[in-house]
Amino acid sequence: MTHLSRRALIAASTAAALAPRLAAAQAKPRLTAISQWSAGSDGAAISALGKKFDEKGGIWQHSPVPGFTTEMMNKLRAQILAGDPPACSQLKGPEIAAWSKIAPTVNLDATVAAAGYEKVVAPDLARLHKPGGKWAALPLQIYRTNTLFVSKRGLDRAKADKLPTTWAEFNTLAEKMKSAGMASPIANGGTRSDDGQKFEACLAGISPAAYRAAIMNLDAKALKGPEVKAAFVQLRKLSDWMDPNVAAQPYASNLAKFVAGDMGMMIQGGWAQGVLLNAGFKIDDFIIAPGPTDNGKPVFILNADAFIFWQRKEADLQAGQKLMAELVMDPAIQTMYSQITGSIPVRTDVDLSGPGWSDGQREAARTLKDSLAANQVVLSLAHNMAQENGMTAAMIDVLTEYVKNRTITPDQAVARLTEAVESSR
Amino acid sequence: MAGLRRVPEFLVIWVPLLIASGQIVVFTAWTTWLSFTPSTLMPTDGFVGLRNYTSVLATRNWKIAFDNLLIFGSGFVVLTMLTGLVLAVLIDQRIRGENVLRSIFLYPLAVSFVVTGTVWSWLLNPGMGIQKLVNDLGWSGFRFDWLVDRDMAIWTIVVAGIWQSSGFAMALFLAGLRSVEADLIKAAQIDGAGPWRLYTRVILPTLWPIMIAVLVILLQTAIRTFDLVRALTGGGPGIATQLPSLVVYDFMFQRGQLGRGAAAAVLLLLTLLAVLLPYAIWKRVQARRAANA
Repeated sequence: MTHLSRRALIAASTAAALAPRLAAAQAKPRLTAISQWSAGSDGAAISALGKKFDEKGGIWQHSPVPGFTTEMMNKLRAQILAGDPPACSQLKGPEIAAWSKIAPTVNLDATVAAAGYEKVVAPDLARLHKPGGKWAALPLQIYRTNTLFVSKRGLDRAKADKLPTTWAEFNTLAEKMKSAGMASPIANGGTRSDDGQKFEACLAGISPAAYRAAIMNLDAKALKGPEVKAAFVQLRKLSDWMDPNVAAQPYASNLAKFVAGDMGMMIQGGWAQGVLLNAGFKIDDFIIAPGPTDNGKPVFILNADAFIFWQRKEADLQAGQKLMAELVMDPAIQTMYSQITGSIPVRTDVDLSGPGWSDGQREAARTLKDSLAANQVVLSLAHNMAQENGMTAAMIDVLTEYVKNRTITPDQAVARLTEAVESSR
Repeated sequence: MAGLRRVPEFLVIWVPLLIASGQIVVFTAWTTWLSFTPSTLMPTDGFVGLRNYTSVLATRNWKIAFDNLLIFGSGFVVLTMLTGLVLAVLIDQRIRGENVLRSIFLYPLAVSFVVTGTVWSWLLNPGMGIQKLVNDLGWSGFRFDWLVDRDMAIWTIVVAGIWQSSGFAMALFLAGLRSVEADLIKAAQIDGAGPWRLYTRVILPTLWPIMIAVLVILLQTAIRTFDLVRALTGGGPGIATQLPSLVVYDFMFQRGQLGRGAAAAVLLLLTLLAVLLPYAIWKRVQARRAANA
């Protein structure tokens, strides 16, 4: 009798202990999220993701903070200071590690392991999302920043038919375009990240190993190395081919001239494809190719958007975080998302042969795989993937000044870059 | 109404005043404190002495920004006052359509600096603005490319600033001109003063308290200019048109270095005080003089 009642007692207490968990399981998963994605294809993509979240029985509460990424980060900072972080927010690159030190994040290890996700993500990219060795954030989509866009009419105008694969071939083609009457063969924007992006394409194309050492690891010797100087020499050539009148205009203001063949080539992120198509141009107005690389193997400069998950006590938010993590890792969701924005999926095992993908996206995904095999995937400096924002800004100061000021020599630029890095360490 | 009357008068004035000044004092003190801490993404405790100040002062950004502030501050203030004064004197000639002209000149003030900056960035862009227009009209050698010229780009901000603010200076000067006593003018005219002498010797000297006021308002506008540069040049070409306020924003919110940003903000505040303190002292001296007289 006593024995039985003890058993009953245990059963009852177990039930009591489980009750909140059961209640949690029954609570409708809810997710509070902030991001800067409010309009255009970005806004459409995240709305589609929210719809999927709702379909799975969740409550999607997304508050977009339109404008610069910094505005979104200010909102995030304010919410963290107030002790009320969103369950999930946009954040990328090394900032994930920096911000995870100021507020507790969710440990996603179990969910990621259950999905077998780590095997299908580029290792450098995975590392960024595992501050302290634990998954706290999940990458959402990938863009390549060294994508070469060649104008079809520009190519015809220069009477060329072969796409450049090395920097030497690139320079020859640009000269050809120039002598065919193009005042500025390179279409470029005048923003800081535009200038930084040209430099990273130069250096990584010349030597991905030097890029990794100098830019990603800030190795003092590599920063002063011959490859960095060679990259500045190449960057000067590019800047001489750019439209000097671009001022602070975004690169998109040159797209009409680019398609018309008044400007021949453009080194941009993969997102430019979506921008071109949205602007009403046709897919056969331009050709998409990998950026120039000098060692015969493909180089992929990687930029990725991600979500970081902030610790919350509420059961419904925790359930929402789990559901969101599962959705973000789901190949079907990644397919849906990338098809809207023009990016490529984070998972390297997604099949891109379907009709929803463009040749440009297929080529980028293929190059990512090949570059991974050749260990030539590097993280973008200009898009805040290689260094924390403070270091990035100090380095880009040097790069943008170099592009805009033709009196700075490559040697001076190397010295200034080293100096900027040292003073920001 | 009756209920409202029972509120003591001092509450109506003092409560909002205390809240407002409390905000200013507390946040200024907080920023000053932050400038001595090692804060990065979030405010943190600790004391690093003047390290944030020395590192801000050592950056190229700050040096360029401060040089630009000197050029922009003096160019903008002097030229805006001059333009405003000339406009005011011309309108003061009892011309026809005065009201319409006055509205036209004052209108830019109703436009925000962001809009001003964006519009001027199109006008001044050599590839699509004034230069292209003149080139297309046939003067193909015409060059007006300050916007993309590192040395001249800061002057495009001066030009846009003048366009925006000279109407405001004009309005104040015009009010001053109109308040000059008619007897004074008549007496001068009877004594045989021509229009030039009338203005330089009689009317303008009475305007100088207004000039000081306009000067101070324009100077503090110049020092805290942010949106105009942001929209017009984005701080470029390169980092050629940085201003201190942009550097503060950049450190605090883009680079995640709150301590350094706060140090830059305090430096900016000191610059502002250098303008406002002498003005406050001068006002006090004036008031005392008036009381004694």
